[in-house]
Amino acid sequence: MDGAAKVLGTAQYVDDLSAKDGELHGATVRSAVARGRIRGIAFDEAFDWSGVTRVTAKDVPENIVQLIVDDQPVLADTVIHHVYEPIVLLACEDRAKLADACAAVTIDVEPLDAVLDIASSLAAKTVVSGEDNVQTRYLITKGAADSEDSETKIDEALAACEVVVTGEYSSHHQEQLYIETQGMLAWWDEAGVHVTGSLQCPYYVHKGFKRAFGLEGDAIHVTQAVTGGGFGGKEEYPTIIALHAALLAKKSGRHVRMIYDRTEDIQATTKRHPAACEISTGCDRDGRLRVLKMRAVFDAGAYVTLTPVVLSRGVLHAGGAYSWQDARIEGLSVTTNTPPNGAFRGFGAPQTIWAIERHLDRVARELGRDPAELKRQNLLVEGDTTATGQVLRGSVGGEECADKAFASSDYFAKRAAGPVIEGRKARGIGASLFMHGGGFTGSGERMLKGRVAVDLQAGGRLLIRSGSTDIGQGTETVFSQIAADAAGIDVSQVSFAVPSTTTVPDSGPTVASRTVMVVGAIVEQAAAAVAAQVRAAGRDDESWVDAADRLLAEHGELSVLKQYEPPSWVDWDETTYKGDAYPVYAWSCDIAEVEVDLDTFEVRVLQFWTAADVGKAINPVMCRGQLEGGALQAIGWALSEDIVWRDGHILNPRMTNYIVPTALDAPRFETILVECPYPHGPGGGAKGIGELPMDGGAPAVAAAIEHATGVSMDHLPLLPERLLLASMAGTTSQGAI
Amino acid sequence: MSVTDLPRFDMVHPESLEALCTLIHEEKERPGGVAMLAGGTDLMVEIAQTGSRSGPLPLVVDISRMAPLRGISFDAGRLRIGAATTYLEIERSGLVQQHAPLLCRMGQDVGGPTIQARGTLGGNLATSSPAADGVAAIAAYDPVIVLRSVRGERQLPLAELQTGYKQSSRAVDEVIVAVECDPPPVGSPWIWRKVGTRLAQAISKVAMGGVAVVDEGRISRFGLALASVAPVTCLMSATRAYVLENELSAVSTAGLDAAVERDVAPIDDIRSTRDYRVHCSRAVVRAFLRQLGASV
Amino acid sequence: MRVELLVNGQERVVEMPPMVRLLDVLRGQLGLIGAKEGCGEGECGTCTVMLDGEPVNACLVAIGQCNGREIITVEGLAEGEHLTPLQQCMADHGGAQCGICTPGMLIAAEALLRRERSPSDEQIRAAVAGNICRCTGYQRIVISIQEAAAARREQSEGPR
Repeated sequence: MDGAAKVLGTAQYVDDLSAKDGELHGATVRSAVARGRIRGIAFDEAFDWSGVTRVTAKDVPENIVQLIVDDQPVLADTVIHHVYEPIVLLACEDRAKLADACAAVTIDVEPLDAVLDIASSLAAKTVVSGEDNVQTRYLITKGAADSEDSETKIDEALAACEVVVTGEYSSHHQEQLYIETQGMLAWWDEAGVHVTGSLQCPYYVHKGFKRAFGLEGDAIHVTQAVTGGGFGGKEEYPTIIALHAALLAKKSGRHVRMIYDRTEDIQATTKRHPAACEISTGCDRDGRLRVLKMRAVFDAGAYVTLTPVVLSRGVLHAGGAYSWQDARIEGLSVTTNTPPNGAFRGFGAPQTIWAIERHLDRVARELGRDPAELKRQNLLVEGDTTATGQVLRGSVGGEECADKAFASSDYFAKRAAGPVIEGRKARGIGASLFMHGGGFTGSGERMLKGRVAVDLQAGGRLLIRSGSTDIGQGTETVFSQIAADAAGIDVSQVSFAVPSTTTVPDSGPTVASRTVMVVGAIVEQAAAAVAAQVRAAGRDDESWVDAADRLLAEHGELSVLKQYEPPSWVDWDETTYKGDAYPVYAWSCDIAEVEVDLDTFEVRVLQFWTAADVGKAINPVMCRGQLEGGALQAIGWALSEDIVWRDGHILNPRMTNYIVPTALDAPRFETILVECPYPHGPGGGAKGIGELPMDGGAPAVAAAIEHATGVSMDHLPLLPERLLLASMAGTTSQGAI
Repeated sequence: MSVTDLPRFDMVHPESLEALCTLIHEEKERPGGVAMLAGGTDLMVEIAQTGSRSGPLPLVVDISRMAPLRGISFDAGRLRIGAATTYLEIERSGLVQQHAPLLCRMGQDVGGPTIQARGTLGGNLATSSPAADGVAAIAAYDPVIVLRSVRGERQLPLAELQTGYKQSSRAVDEVIVAVECDPPPVGSPWIWRKVGTRLAQAISKVAMGGVAVVDEGRISRFGLALASVAPVTCLMSATRAYVLENELSAVSTAGLDAAVERDVAPIDDIRSTRDYRVHCSRAVVRAFLRQLGASV
Repeated sequence: MRVELLVNGQERVVEMPPMVRLLDVLRGQLGLIGAKEGCGEGECGTCTVMLDGEPVNACLVAIGQCNGREIITVEGLAEGEHLTPLQQCMADHGGAQCGICTPGMLIAAEALLRRERSPSDEQIRAAVAGNICRCTGYQRIVISIQEAAAARREQSEGPR
């Protein structure tokens, strides 16, 4: 597979593609204020502009980035909404001259008051979007709250509970920090426009070009280069950089390549939405959870981008993996004058799961119970209903995951023994339980109609043509395995076409834990259908290869195109937010064992157990790799990753001070695969697991820190400086300090 | 300077220390100055990160392989480390392991292996950054810095070399040749403690090097220095005095903490806070004194 | 400046301004795209190559410092398409996901395995601590390197 090219160093990422004659480098001139009105753009007359291509908003046929709402320009024209807003594009063959050219552009801006965080956006003293800075609202109600007067009713239900606990929890920006920065190569010819680069979703870029350039679909050729990680960060942003490169290419008539350096990438591209959550819950004294009231506010940044969908997934996971009789979950997204936030593995769920998990740890403290035991007691099981009223029909592995993780980590014995203190170090253990919906939310897959083709090729080979990309998560390998198994041939007989909108159908985006579970299912169907035709045509004692070649000779070509159909019982009401939010969930229990230095509050995660119900692990090595890699991103988010802001500027847009874990910081992982098959999943029941491991790491680490030190943290990140402050403020329950 | 400027730089490779001294003396009025390049872990990063292309460029002098600036020796109780010796060479040196084990341990904490293979003690002394781990570690041994110019050689204690935040008393036409120190007897207690942003590839929030000689309940020699807690590598004079003036049994937490607080003057920055650094300074110094037998 | 190099066992001569980064010479003139630029400041390790046997960040090395020196890049590990045990293990045990850190990771690992026949888990982690991987969580990389060490030991000892 592609593994050989990667270890040989021959895999070609966009920056590795050989330069074309006369190719230009592209660069972006950005705003320097968080909010303002553009009064003018001045190109220094003393500068020699020969050989430099200049593009501004007036060069964009339709100046809109095609997403959910038409609010984001390809290049800012009149108003600036964040510090890194692109305003002018330049291209030049000579990098040094290009750098000088960028310095010769002056953008005259009248600064306006900016709103830089959730609190000031909600306060709406300065209104920067709509009437009150609020972009989107969702409301989920269940039981008593299923009423016009849901807030009063849920308050009454809370008041009737034996134990009511209230808390506030927040989480912060996170940068995807894929190690390959964003980049695109664009050119135009008689066939139209071509872009090749680092991306997750070729058809998103395709749609973006249709809109901004007004082109017919067949004049747009979007091809994925080998992509060095995405994690959501290359879901919607590549459309923008591709449009920028193509605008420069169109005006110059040359090939134009734009490769962001690390600083520009961290500054300008999307990040995880910060979120602030308020939760009140009611339960019985014996720990039975009854009532949930929650409000989650997400910081969208300057534009809407994918925020409504992120917020939607956030509220749909807000109740956690638990059964609630009455629930009212409200979600809001608000505009701030910070770079737009967007897709990042987990897609809203890590934020609300952080909140609900920490809250249940607080409830357990009130009740004098072990938090994991309390959570285990209230886990959703088959036949239970979620907050949207969805009845869980099967493949519900939460309890099995919990029990296996508890046993493997010796969780209860370690909890009961209390923190292990040696010298000035304390060891503690903590757990989180969670689930993550696979595929698009609600009726998303029905509307999306993802398609895949499998072609029969000479020698009985199969070629998978899909718009689902491999961004490191193993799509190519896993799809090939699925097709080979479905066709009954060896995996070496299957190839995966380079995803290009010219040659592969639209499988829907490579997001939402849907690639294996949803697209993989139609790969399986298509491969099986091709194989059935070969076998039906095969004569007695004719080999697969001979039958296939004969069939090809007879028909010229043989290809099967399949379109995804969600299970017929999936029933979702987008207006009331009721029904089957996702056809199935992956389940997991994370357990972190940490060592905290009681002097410096440095935290090391020593060992990390994950038991995850993946439905069916098609490639166990890759499946574990996904779970471990996602867990480490969650640990990084919890402990060290932090975007530091001042006046809307990012103060640490470098790898030297945006701190992701190294091999020495990473824990030993004990990863247990639990398989509760999903009948509609491929390969014997696979479920989507790409995002799952991002959800539970932070609360498990926080619970372990609390066990070790008694310091209970409700706000991410858990930096040593913050732990020290919390310990001095006495927000401690018990433990070593 | 920006990365696109790189093709415009000139580089010279002096044949000898004398030639180097003559060159940097003759070029001392040069508008862009002279930049001595060893491992490139500062200069190359600075060029890449500055991003502005205005101003004259310095003349680059490659000193990375100049024999007189390299190597480790031990003679008559004195350890000498050439300024262009890499951290990796320090880490792997049997002489250093024997006489100044703190430096070996520190070496493992400098960046990651690729930085250790290139970074040098001389480079960290030349930039005079208070965050340099290597300088805090060697400072515990009360070293002298050997400087050379056309005017000859001079030796400066560290306190006289570092004059302020990224400021040094090194003349523009002087080169740091070596660092020399007289380590305590083999087997003497030492400590290296780095509080970083992570366990590798980290700049210190606080780092501490310490060495001591303990004689019958009293500390007769005490070297201590902290990184990232003051505009210069913090030599902890009040703490040293307090420890040397008292029997170990008389060293108190309050006394020690008060001395540490007099010594350190950290700031809030991108990596940490003033309060956290003060707290950690007290904590790491206490840890060293506990190791030496004090009840703090 | 004229610079003579031994790159992956071959003598190469380049004529280059002396402060141009080794990384740019490798990826440009020499056509060796294996080393990548992930940060340009020695933090990520994707440009790791061996310089006289030690792993270094090619983004921090000026070509003018390289005259007469030996450089090994990821392209110099395998013989043609024939993977070394280290490369094979990295592919088989999930050590490479997106692959962008892989060339640098392999060089760091190779340098370790040339020094240590049986590296411990901790030694492996320390040896690749300058190479940031955002995909794997590192465990599959550590396993890959351990397996490669075992394969190399077996190779050098021969069948028993």
